[in-house]
Amino acid sequence: MMRDRSLPSYCVISPGSVLDFTAGILGKGPVMGPMVRPDQPGFHVFDRLRRPEDLVLEYTTTTMPPKKAFFPPTETVFRFSAGDPPNLTPVRGDPPWVLLGVHPCDLSAIDALDRAYSFPPPDRRWRHNRDRSIIVGVDCMPDEYCFCDSLGVSQARRPCDLFLTEIERGYLVETHTRAGGELLGEARTSNALGQDFLEAEHRRRQKALGIQARLSADPGRLADFLEAEPFQEIWEDIAARCYSCGSCNTTCPACFCFTMDDVFHWDLQSGERRRAWDSCQLLDFAAVAGGHRFREDRWQRVRHRWHRKFLHLYRRFGRPFCTGCGRCSRACTADINILDETNRIIAAATKGRGHA
Amino acid sequence: MPETGKRAGVPADWTYLPEPARIVSIRREAVDAVIELELADRSALGHKPGQFVQVSMFGFGEIPISICSSPTRTGRFKLCVRPAGHVSNALYRASEGDWVGIRGPFGRGFPIRTMRNRDVLAVAGGIGLAPLRSLIQYVRDNREAYGRLVVVYGARNPSLILFRTDVEAWTRGEDVEMFLTVDEADESWTGRTGVVTGPLKEIDLSTRSTVAAVVGPPVMFRFVAAELLAKGMNRRRIFFSLERRFECGIGKCGHCQLNGMYVCQDGPVFRYSDLEGFSEAVEARAPER
Amino acid sequence: MKKEKPRIAFFDFACCEGCQLTVLQLEEKLLDLLDHVEVAAWRVAISGGSDAYDIAFCEGSISNREDEERLHRIRETAGTVVSLGTCASIGCHNALKNQWTGGEVLELVYGGEAGRFETLPARPVASVVPVDYQILGCPASLPEIEIVLKRILTGQPHPLPNNPVCVECKRNDNLCVLEKGVMCLGPVTRCGCDAICTSYGDACQGCRGLVDEPNLEAAVRVLTENHRHAIMDAVARGLRVDRERIRTWFSLYNGPDLQLEQEKTGHGP
Ligand SMILES: Cc1cc2nc3c(=O)[nH]c(=O)nc-3n(C[C@H](O)[C@H](O)[C@H](O)COP(=O)(O)OP(=O)(O)OC[C@H]3O[C@@H](n4cnc5c(N)ncnc54)[C@H](O)[C@@H]3O)c2cc1C
Ligand code: SF4
Ligand code: SF4
Ligand code: SF4
Repeated sequence: MMRDRSLPSYCVISPGSVLDFTAGILGKGPVMGPMVRPDQPGFHVFDRLRRPEDLVLEYTTTTMPPKKAFFPPTETVFRFSAGDPPNLTPVRGDPPWVLLGVHPCDLSAIDALDRAYSFPPPDRRWRHNRDRSIIVGVDCMPDEYCFCDSLGVSQARRPCDLFLTEIERGYLVETHTRAGGELLGEARTSNALGQDFLEAEHRRRQKALGIQARLSADPGRLADFLEAEPFQEIWEDIAARCYSCGSCNTTCPACFCFTMDDVFHWDLQSGERRRAWDSCQLLDFAAVAGGHRFREDRWQRVRHRWHRKFLHLYRRFGRPFCTGCGRCSRACTADINILDETNRIIAAATKGRGHA
Repeated sequence: MPETGKRAGVPADWTYLPEPARIVSIRREAVDAVIELELADRSALGHKPGQFVQVSMFGFGEIPISICSSPTRTGRFKLCVRPAGHVSNALYRASEGDWVGIRGPFGRGFPIRTMRNRDVLAVAGGIGLAPLRSLIQYVRDNREAYGRLVVVYGARNPSLILFRTDVEAWTRGEDVEMFLTVDEADESWTGRTGVVTGPLKEIDLSTRSTVAAVVGPPVMFRFVAAELLAKGMNRRRIFFSLERRFECGIGKCGHCQLNGMYVCQDGPVFRYSDLEGFSEAVEARAPER
Repeated sequence: MKKEKPRIAFFDFACCEGCQLTVLQLEEKLLDLLDHVEVAAWRVAISGGSDAYDIAFCEGSISNREDEERLHRIRETAGTVVSLGTCASIGCHNALKNQWTGGEVLELVYGGEAGRFETLPARPVASVVPVDYQILGCPASLPEIEIVLKRILTGQPHPLPNNPVCVECKRNDNLCVLEKGVMCLGPVTRCGCDAICTSYGDACQGCRGLVDEPNLEAAVRVLTENHRHAIMDAVARGLRVDRERIRTWFSLYNGPDLQLEQEKTGHGP
């Protein structure tokens, strides 16, 4: 796409106008955004917004990342019915028109999936859904699980159309794309003043300071370490605690493995093919017919998780497939913390080299 | 952006939507079925030897199957299916006139260009003969472009020999040196017994000009590799076709990842010298000598 | 071409018949089902019944000699035998009694009358006759009932799903109950229920049996040792768990599975 030289541009929107703006777009198409979990106050979830007041722009994290807007946990890919030849009807994705309230780490994860799914031959389902959505990002306040800063994504803006940073008067709005500008055309905004920029900058600094947890090496060095050394004992130690439940993958915004299954409808002639999120930690993930499992041992699967995120995909797509969002550590049913374990690997690799 | 395995006239929009293909004929044997297919629009598949297609049995699922016919033969194409589970059993039981779904062809096939003007050694174990058959036919159909064609094929027992007619023709043919062996003989068997490394030991190869293509069960690779290396073959001229679980065939689903590679896209055919560097290519480790 | 519809029949052994009732919850899909099958015998749904059937759904555990004989007769009649629910597929609560000898159990239940009864250890259907399909769950999981019915009718096998419940739980975008300080057996329990309990905010009780290669040692460790994770710490402290408690909890549904696992790996909770 052609770069628009006038972008990014800036303005300010008041909290009241955000509400009006949301109400306006809700009337025009499906909108997804963070809201309080109906089943458990205090926790948030990305879901279809029905009422503007349900939108929560200040939240720490959600159980599931917003990738589900473009890559749902389960979906129908096509339907088939008997015929000569059989009728095959593709089922298109159903992405929200606007995805609201995405944090920088989750934006960066969408960028990761853009790269992986666009790599030829592309996954056109992803592209189709992405091309139909406008993304509005919002800045966040980190919690104790976040380590996005050391992965360089704490200020990520790609790929968003609009980005909001909270300030005294409401939000400083960055318009990053023309589509974002058009969407914003609906809202009452005012010019951004020097004071607004200062406040936003202050907030960003506060945020960076708030992120205490850090990886003790940059992603490039981490990849080199993983490539150079076996770290067998560490994998085995993690594996001894790991259930292989897959929750670290299914909650990860940068994971994208899936499985496909067919189901018949009740006429037993027609049916559909369904796609669902999968996880490389599961025992049968790399099983082939006949029962051979290519990562039979739990530690091999654990190693694979680290290798895939921080080595293989890093080399292939030029970025780690982790954003430091901390969801996997929070979700891990066995108390395995990705940051602690990664730092342990780094410590083992740098031991005796005079630097850490 | 060029898309592997996409032919003209196919809507590129539907990444996971197969094309219907009709079963023109099916020849079912005790242990496998050779299925001849024709795409609904009768177009040619446009594959290379060693490539595979994702085959759908609607309502059952989708699995990777190698194309066992050579692109040099007719517009139709053939698959050889060994019933091994859910989908392959259903394919095996299918009948003439049934419809299946096809996506592909996918993957990197055998290095037919590297093989040009060189001797070709095809080593097959069990169902591994299916993809190699496509290579063998291809070489025979372009005979002047290749040197010797040596085929070593091992089956578990005589009743499990695939493509019997072909194997007999190759045995008789002037242009193929055929070595057939079975692990366990029965009363009627008069041929060779033992695993494929037996004939490999005997064959006199000009190792400098030979390219080997090896397809078989995981246990076979390492022993064949050891034998070929012992004969002095260059590890860069030994090619293995690997098996993994595929859900997509286009390097997205993650199931077939092998270190930094996707077997479905970067393979299934790999150079032995590359595999040696992959900690997860467990089947390719040559045994310690 | 009109094919003969296969005839289905339901039989109950030691159980509460809850699984058969769950089949009735297919509701309007029952009508779809009846397009494809005829009902030969189904006590909870229709009266009367016939002895000619093709597909037999057996519910409950086998715990005495008459049961055994009846089951053998069913196996001889039916082309397809399905064990319906956890009692029939694993043993479930019934198998709790297996930790005592038959005599002790009778004594406990019938006291002075014990001599008049006979009992055997409770066993799943598959340990008495070969079984073609298994449906798990207490009560049997509705989504699995539907899948298995379709698979039987289209001639497909149904290998037991082998992912932990967590996978389905996450696909449903549930908040993990651990976050509420509740301990959950999801990570070691076979999925296929569409995570119904955790989707309603309850803990998974493990009613569908253990996955292959469950990390039971991890469960003990996670529940009894120090935690960095504040939530896990709260869970462990709140429950004041020790090995014994974990074991009791795990055996509620999984007695036989646990025993097998222990024999195989040498440890368990
Ligand atoms: C490149 C390539 C070429 C091939 N060529 C041929 C060929 O020419 N001829 C041939 O006969 N075969 C071929 N195969 C092998 C063939 O693809 C397998 O036999 C087939 O995938 C088995 O699938 P199935 O449904 O029949 O078996 P199943 O055993 O039912 O397995 C179905 C799939 O699901 C996986 N799976 C198994 N159990 C579980 C579980 N509990 N949970 C989740 N997933 C599970 C398996 O790993 C498998 O991928 C080829 C394979 C590859 C990779
Ligand atoms: S690996 Fe963990 S911390 Fe990294 S992006 Fe995924 S869920 Fe977040
Ligand atoms: S969430 Fe934890 S226990 Fe589950 S697979 Fe991941 S690391 Fe293992
Ligand atoms: S609630 Fe239970 S099943 Fe769901 S993710 Fe948590 S531990 Fe797993």
